[in-house]
Amino acid sequence: MEEKKFEPRILAFLCNWCSYAGADLAGVSRLQYPSNIRVIRVTCSGTVSPHHILHAFQKRADGVLVAGCHIGDCHYIKGNYMTLKRLKFVEGLLDFAGYDPKRLRLEWISAAEGIKFAGVVREFTETIRHLGPAPPFDAIPLLAGNM
Amino acid sequence: MSNSSQNLVGSVMVVGGGIAGVQAALDLADTGFYVYIIESSEAIGGVMSALDKTFPTNDCSMCILSPKLVECGRHPNIEIITLAEVQSVAGKAGNFQVKVFQRARFIDMDKCIACGACAEKCPRKVANQYNLGLNKRKAAYVKYPQAVPLKYAIDKDHCIYFEKGKCRACEKFCPTNAVNFEDTDREITLNVGSIILAPGLQPFDPTSFDSYGYARHPNVITAMELERILSPSGPTRGKLIRPSDGGEPERIAWLQCVGSRDINHCDNGYCSAVCCTYAIKEAVVAKEHIKGSLDTAIFYIDMRTHGKDFEKYYNRAKQSGVRFIKARISIVFPVYETGNLFIRYTDGAGRRVEEEFDMIVLSVGLETSPAALRLAERLGIELDDGRFALTSPFRPVTTTRPGIFVCGAFQGPKDIPQSVMEASAAAAETATLLAPARASLVREAVEFEEVDVAGEEPRIGVFVCHCGVNIGSVVNVPAVKEYAKTLHYVEYVEENLFSCSQDTQDTMKEVIAKHKLNRIVVASCSPRTHEPLFQQTIREAGLNKYLFEMANIRDQNSWVHQAEPDAATGKAKDLVRMAVAKVGLQQPLEETKLPVTKSGLVIGGGVAGMEAALTLADQGYPVTVVEKEDVLGGHARKLLTAWTGEPIASFLEELIQRVQAHPIITMRLNSEVKEVKGFVGNFSTTVEADGIEEQIPHGVAIIAAGAHFHKPTEYCYGENDRIYLSLELDEAIRERCDAVVQANSAVFIQCVGSREPERPYCSRVCCTHSIKNALRLKEINPQMDVAILYRDIRTYGLREGLYRKARRKGVMFIRFNVDRKPQVEIVANELRITVFDLTLQRSILLKPGILTLASAITASKTESLAKLFKVPLNPEGFFLEAHMKLRPVDFATDGVYVAGLAHWPKPTEECIAQAKAAAARAARVLAKDFIAAGGAVAVVDKKICCGCQSCLGCCPFEAVSYLEQEARCEINQAVCKGCGTCGAACPSEAITLLGLSNQQIYKQIDEGLSG
Amino acid sequence: MNTKIRILLQGGRVDGFFAYKTTSGFPFPTLFTLENIQELETWRPTPARYPILKLLLAQARKNPHAAYGILVRGCEERGLRELFKYQQLEQDKVIILGQACTEGLAKYCECWKPYPDALDYGKPAPAMAKSRKVEELEEQHREARLDWWLSHFNRCIRCYGCRDVCPVCFCTECSLEHAELMLGEILPPDTSFHLVRAVHMGGRCIDCGLCEEVCPARIPLRSLYKKINRLIEEILGYNPGISKEKSPLSFLGEEMSLPSGPR
Repeated sequence: MEEKKFEPRILAFLCNWCSYAGADLAGVSRLQYPSNIRVIRVTCSGTVSPHHILHAFQKRADGVLVAGCHIGDCHYIKGNYMTLKRLKFVEGLLDFAGYDPKRLRLEWISAAEGIKFAGVVREFTETIRHLGPAPPFDAIPLLAGNM
Repeated sequence: MSNSSQNLVGSVMVVGGGIAGVQAALDLADTGFYVYIIESSEAIGGVMSALDKTFPTNDCSMCILSPKLVECGRHPNIEIITLAEVQSVAGKAGNFQVKVFQRARFIDMDKCIACGACAEKCPRKVANQYNLGLNKRKAAYVKYPQAVPLKYAIDKDHCIYFEKGKCRACEKFCPTNAVNFEDTDREITLNVGSIILAPGLQPFDPTSFDSYGYARHPNVITAMELERILSPSGPTRGKLIRPSDGGEPERIAWLQCVGSRDINHCDNGYCSAVCCTYAIKEAVVAKEHIKGSLDTAIFYIDMRTHGKDFEKYYNRAKQSGVRFIKARISIVFPVYETGNLFIRYTDGAGRRVEEEFDMIVLSVGLETSPAALRLAERLGIELDDGRFALTSPFRPVTTTRPGIFVCGAFQGPKDIPQSVMEASAAAAETATLLAPARASLVREAVEFEEVDVAGEEPRIGVFVCHCGVNIGSVVNVPAVKEYAKTLHYVEYVEENLFSCSQDTQDTMKEVIAKHKLNRIVVASCSPRTHEPLFQQTIREAGLNKYLFEMANIRDQNSWVHQAEPDAATGKAKDLVRMAVAKVGLQQPLEETKLPVTKSGLVIGGGVAGMEAALTLADQGYPVTVVEKEDVLGGHARKLLTAWTGEPIASFLEELIQRVQAHPIITMRLNSEVKEVKGFVGNFSTTVEADGIEEQIPHGVAIIAAGAHFHKPTEYCYGENDRIYLSLELDEAIRERCDAVVQANSAVFIQCVGSREPERPYCSRVCCTHSIKNALRLKEINPQMDVAILYRDIRTYGLREGLYRKARRKGVMFIRFNVDRKPQVEIVANELRITVFDLTLQRSILLKPGILTLASAITASKTESLAKLFKVPLNPEGFFLEAHMKLRPVDFATDGVYVAGLAHWPKPTEECIAQAKAAAARAARVLAKDFIAAGGAVAVVDKKICCGCQSCLGCCPFEAVSYLEQEARCEINQAVCKGCGTCGAACPSEAITLLGLSNQQIYKQIDEGLSG
Repeated sequence: MNTKIRILLQGGRVDGFFAYKTTSGFPFPTLFTLENIQELETWRPTPARYPILKLLLAQARKNPHAAYGILVRGCEERGLRELFKYQQLEQDKVIILGQACTEGLAKYCECWKPYPDALDYGKPAPAMAKSRKVEELEEQHREARLDWWLSHFNRCIRCYGCRDVCPVCFCTECSLEHAELMLGEILPPDTSFHLVRAVHMGGRCIDCGLCEEVCPARIPLRSLYKKINRLIEEILGYNPGISKEKSPLSFLGEEMSLPSGPR
């Protein structure tokens, strides 16, 4: 059987006010980017908890993008402060646990940055394609002999 | 009620759809007035929409503006009339008849779905004026991608059909038959109670400055052109390149005061007030674009960073390597081989220097456009010396014609926050004038009977849209439809040519009833633009509006994966599956109504506090004013005149009298706020006076607690009675003190305690104040030698006229450096001042009769007040507003507003404008009978909450409180804005953001990854 | 030591005091009250460690008005401070006596502060600034680290011992038991079990190491949480149990104190 080309599964959390608008602008401007991304619209990037990110990897996401307003532009004033703090921490945790932190990407994308959105998706998809499928979270029960 | 008030019309015309017009319209529409926005171009947004970033926070301009534009576009009580201008006005205040001329658009706005097919097919390219001609657009075009209304237009002057009588390609390809070549110009007559003028500004056109060669040298550009170049959605897609060869510049110079402070090349004697700070912004942003290597130099006369946090912005720019050179450049020389430019100037040490740059940016000033001048003429309002609408400092937004108000740059050159403040102030003046007619013409939202579906199993209807060919040409819509039928809980699926069309809306209502659908998914375009429309439809069908979800298969699918139809179809299926899964978990959400206490509390009895109180009370809302002193008036009691020369005393006397006589204003002198309970619409505040406590219920609070004047410990202050502070000199002049009247010479020292590490800000008023007093001294004794020792003269706006006058009258201006401040000694009762004159490069000894120190304005002790109202202070102790640009009088905490010196140092007229603005914002709350609570907000499940308070500090709006008794957290449904940051902080997932629960997110993750 | 405790009890300063009695030569965590005050005589310094904060927390929840004393080590003092910050215990209802850990114990724990600030017994042992175990892991290739962790996580029997013994795990309902987050009842649980718990330890873990002590599968959890603490310190400049304020993950803070992020 011919080996199927690896198509990364990428999940993106986009804040409603900036990054989702930036993604819409990319559409209005007809900027083309790979179709691997699936977007979940959230009110604020601060809605995204580490649980959500871990759940995405648990469900075999190859990459997770979290995008929000630039610091200072947040519709909720400082919601994205929390995003930044949480994401940096989860990145470090994933790395230490043996998962490439490049699979988790945080970006600030404004409502005017359609070009940036398309660019980030292109680049991120390429990065993940290069990294290959993410290692599964599934545990492998040890056989008695391995103990 | 008198006859005249019965004739009051409850609608308002706002002329101009820039940020000022938009703000005035929103404030009025939210206060119960019907608003027409008359916009001359194809869409609202004005100059702000074309800016890249905004100072001093470097916020993305479009990001912060766009939500306001969308709100305007959607507001049931705002009607936007584009391509229109006012022809004539008849009638009087309270009842005007306005003739409006509207140019034909040739596109039916009701039919246009902004797909862009017309522009794509249009064969004619024309210079794109929105990008100042830096690139091309088509003759069928949309002004800019985020335009409101998002509708195309046909440029008649360039359209091939109008030129040659054939083409009509746009018409052929328009999927909705929106193109209408038969469209004609029309005249509309509108009946309104009041008019607010916000026609905005026109950047100065430097073509006439031959010596700068703007017209000849492509690499000499205006600051506005640079904004477009820097903008990520601009002609170069945010790449900083020079126009001549597209190369990356290595050296850029900004030349300040082009078309400002200049009565030789142009007639703009005033300072444009914004150019210094925008040049700093552009230099900093340009440096970010070209990392590290870009040399930036700003050539200035005086750096005028007098706004809130601008001085720190200036200091940061210096640290980041932006060069600041004090020199006025008169000629730009071209280097023809390279396209470079060189300039000559004299540096600080007196040496002649020649420098070459790759690009030169002209920091052009702001002026009134010919169209606005025409408007003023048609309306019969008077203009001032600078050709701005004439206003008095005591009524800063009132024009010379009753019932017509003004805000923004047409009132005088100014920045965005000041424009926004004035816009709200103009709204307040209008609301006061038309108070009896409030709510007479607004369209109330219709309530629909809601079917209770809470306990039912989901029955989901899915509508998949072709959007003409926009989706259907890439995505296999029938396949998506068939797929949707297989999904759990999906009972009904159909495909539409246009899901947003009126007939589909009607069908949707029918099938909801027929198939007993209780949840709807529409797979089409973006929820950001269309969700409200569909939500309205399902509400009309009796469904709770939250039982709705969109799958964005156009903007984020068919438009961006045009070459991958299979993948796009697969993605569309995934997006539909995610939406179905999410909506299946959605429960109807209730919005409850909480009554509003229709009264206000104002803290501070100075000019700002009294103006705010009067503005609310004149609209019919009772107000209590809490003043800690035993008199009203604050600092204004000492101030002699406004900068224009109008005496303060008589104004203040009248103001106090009006406040005291007002039937619904209650005064509490010698009083202090002790405790604040409640939230927007429902506060209860404890005020203490002479040991007696009183509970005051109120719906809103305005903090106008004032500020102090810094008492210097330098320059021998307090050691001699001939050394004054500015306000003390006012008093001495008023009382004709011998020391002042008989003095042969006077010296002023500027920036005493301002612009120093301890207080890194400009106190904004001192330059004007000292110059005003210098002129007064010259009037008392024309022979008196008067010298002002300064660092930068900051007579912004029309105040520049005072500075010019002072120079003409022989006031000496001696510039010093902060590292080498003047030395003051008292020798045998003689004042001796030694100052190192930067221009002469030597020390000068002055022995004046009197010395005045222009000391800083410092924050009052307001920490406890800030804590009580849960609002923040900035590092200098001034109150910190919700947003520096667009919410200059609001706090993040709803229902609390700020005005006057408590916010930042500012002159009387700005205090008054801000006070009125605060009252306008507050009136938005008081005009409502109820405030809505609930909906898509966060709730705490108290059974799960362990009271750890991890969420409490994560709320930007102070909506979370800790209940001591239960040891649990609680979220105030009226205060929560639904960001969900608290939920992500809760370790036990005890918090649910309704409409976006953890379960819904998990489910979307599952479905998004299971394709 | 027992004299001090006796004075607190007899003087009515506290209603009970948590320390250790010795039974058959073994230390045993005990709530001393006026009723069993004579048992205090059997108190001996011991390197043994018990979830004594958990006992205190349970007792305080039962009798919210009572004041308790407790004899703590460095880590337990840090834990108390966290419990105060998170409003789980009232500071003015807890009297602290402190004991320093022995040098042996400090070395074994790779403890960076093996003594409480309130020191009533023992001599402070030298602190260990670094953790050799964490560093060894950091030096490995990421893939090797993944294999290493999986080889340990694969032994997990989902007994929740790590959580149950943890002094700063005080939630009413635990995310580790959320059906949407934790999949099924398969054994061993997948990696997210450990990572979710690790996320929760961020800004909270006081590095007592009891989780690793009680783990029946001998999963080297302490190295994971030591790394968590290191990350929180590097990224947010925060040390649970030492820093006075709450964890930066529980309040917005100022822009100046944010870690550097994307542009």
